Amino acid sequence: SKPCSVVRTVTVSAAQMLDKARSKPSLDTRVVLTGRSGCGKSFLLLQLVQNCILNGWIVVYIPRAKKLVDSSTPYEYDLRTQTYLQPAFSLQTLQRLLAANQAKLTMLATQKKHSFEKREVPFGTNLVDLIGIAVKEPPLAPVILETLMTELSTQTKHPVLFAVDDFQALYCRTAYRDPHFVPIRPFHLSLPRMIMEYASGKKSFAKGAFVGAITTSDTQYKLPSELKDALDLPHEHFKTPYDKRSRTLMGYTTGLKALHVPEQLSLVEAASLYEVWKDDKALISSLHDEAFLSKYTESSGNARDFVWKGLLATFDS
Amino acid sequence: MVHILGVNLRESHVARYALTSFYGIGHHTAHRLCARLQIHDKCKMKDLSPYQVTALASFLSSPSTSVTPPRYPLASSDFIPPSPNKSTQDLQSEFAALKAAQDQRKQKRARHSRASQQAASDPLKDLKIESELRRMIRENIGHQRMIGSYVGKRHAMHLPVRGQNTQSNAKTAKKLNQLDRY
Repeated sequence: SKPCSVVRTVTVSAAQMLDKARSKPSLDTRVVLTGRSGCGKSFLLLQLVQNCILNGWIVVYIPRAKKLVDSSTPYEYDLRTQTYLQPAFSLQTLQRLLAANQAKLTMLATQKKHSFEKREVPFGTNLVDLIGIAVKEPPLAPVILETLMTELSTQTKHPVLFAVDDFQALYCRTAYRDPHFVPIRPFHLSLPRMIMEYASGKKSFAKGAFVGAITTSDTQYKLPSELKDALDLPHEHFKTPYDKRSRTLMGYTTGLKALHVPEQLSLVEAASLYEVWKDDKALISSLHDEAFLSKYTESSGNARDFVWKGLLATFDS
Repeated sequence: MVHILGVNLRESHVARYALTSFYGIGHHTAHRLCARLQIHDKCKMKDLSPYQVTALASFLSSPSTSVTPPRYPLASSDFIPPSPNKSTQDLQSEFAALKAAQDQRKQKRARHSRASQQAASDPLKDLKIESELRRMIRENIGHQRMIGSYVGKRHAMHLPVRGQNTQSNAKTAKKLNQLDRY
């Protein structure tokens, strides 16, 4: 059957929060989904993205922000912005934006004339054509993405949702190095800098919201202390005045609010998930509620453990 | 297959590890080289642009005469970039003027201060690879022999140089330690 997810109480409350944010600038709604490993943050983000697309929002979704900082995409220094551009990832983001929001983008046009070094985009150019320029000339992708985001932040026809998964990776040390072998900070890379500017409110959509989701199970990009302070999350060790914090990174965490995803699936939610598997005829040996309750108890309600270690483990016999 | 300085590097190999196939380039030097040419860690040889390949070849042909890139400015958190229609030439001339002013200030400081200021050394300039490196090793061994040192004598006798056991286990030394090594 088709991929599906369970609608939880937290899904409904988050969707209602986004409905209220629909008519307000994104400065007022900058949320980060937090919670235990496996409690359903990425899935909740996916549900919110899907809900927003169906309700007429324009969605900019980055499913793995880790790819921006782990030195897996080309980078080059740009003297104008004094940052390192990521042309390949910018082009990919534009193509994904187009694929997800084509119908809405055709209704929008540029509100002013843009002139790049060798190209000019006249007033009133359709945003789909703007993305088409980047597809034809890939080196222009970072500038076109910057221009597109500026246009989307000024228009008020459709609210814009900026959704980023693996959000904590943007605040960690990157794997990139400059020509003098000095590590490049995330705010000196064009895309992470743009995401952090929208997250911290330095830039804002006229109507929309910013939602990020952290990943707690990545050991290379652990939740940094600047984010823990901003989101009021517990620290591993006792906080001392000697713990180093980057002032610039702290400046990029201002105004972020944590939305805590419940650690446990409620019994009703877990039961509906179980029913999906049962109706799909995926469970042969465990069709009774004793099996369901035993798996639920073993995983202590944790969504990932319930599916991976609970339901999938029934296949081994 | 990408040809650089006569060495054939397979296109499917990651650039950072393909560079270690040169004699004299290990993992750390390869990492530094890739950073110098802005090649990301997971870049394969086939993804290198022609400019990067020629830059790599020209660097490796003579690392000592290579130009150290200038330290470009990095945006502060409240930096607002100029509009995209500003020409590259204008930006570069502004940067050149800024750099000239910085160099002037440095020279002024160096003249007034008594202690001689050493410029930060570029480790890639001292890089020696392939034939140059082999020649340097041969010359070093020849020099040790010429001055009549213990190290030179051990090389001549095909025996271990650094105080290892010879009662047993000197097989590698007997095979490789020579005056005309490489």
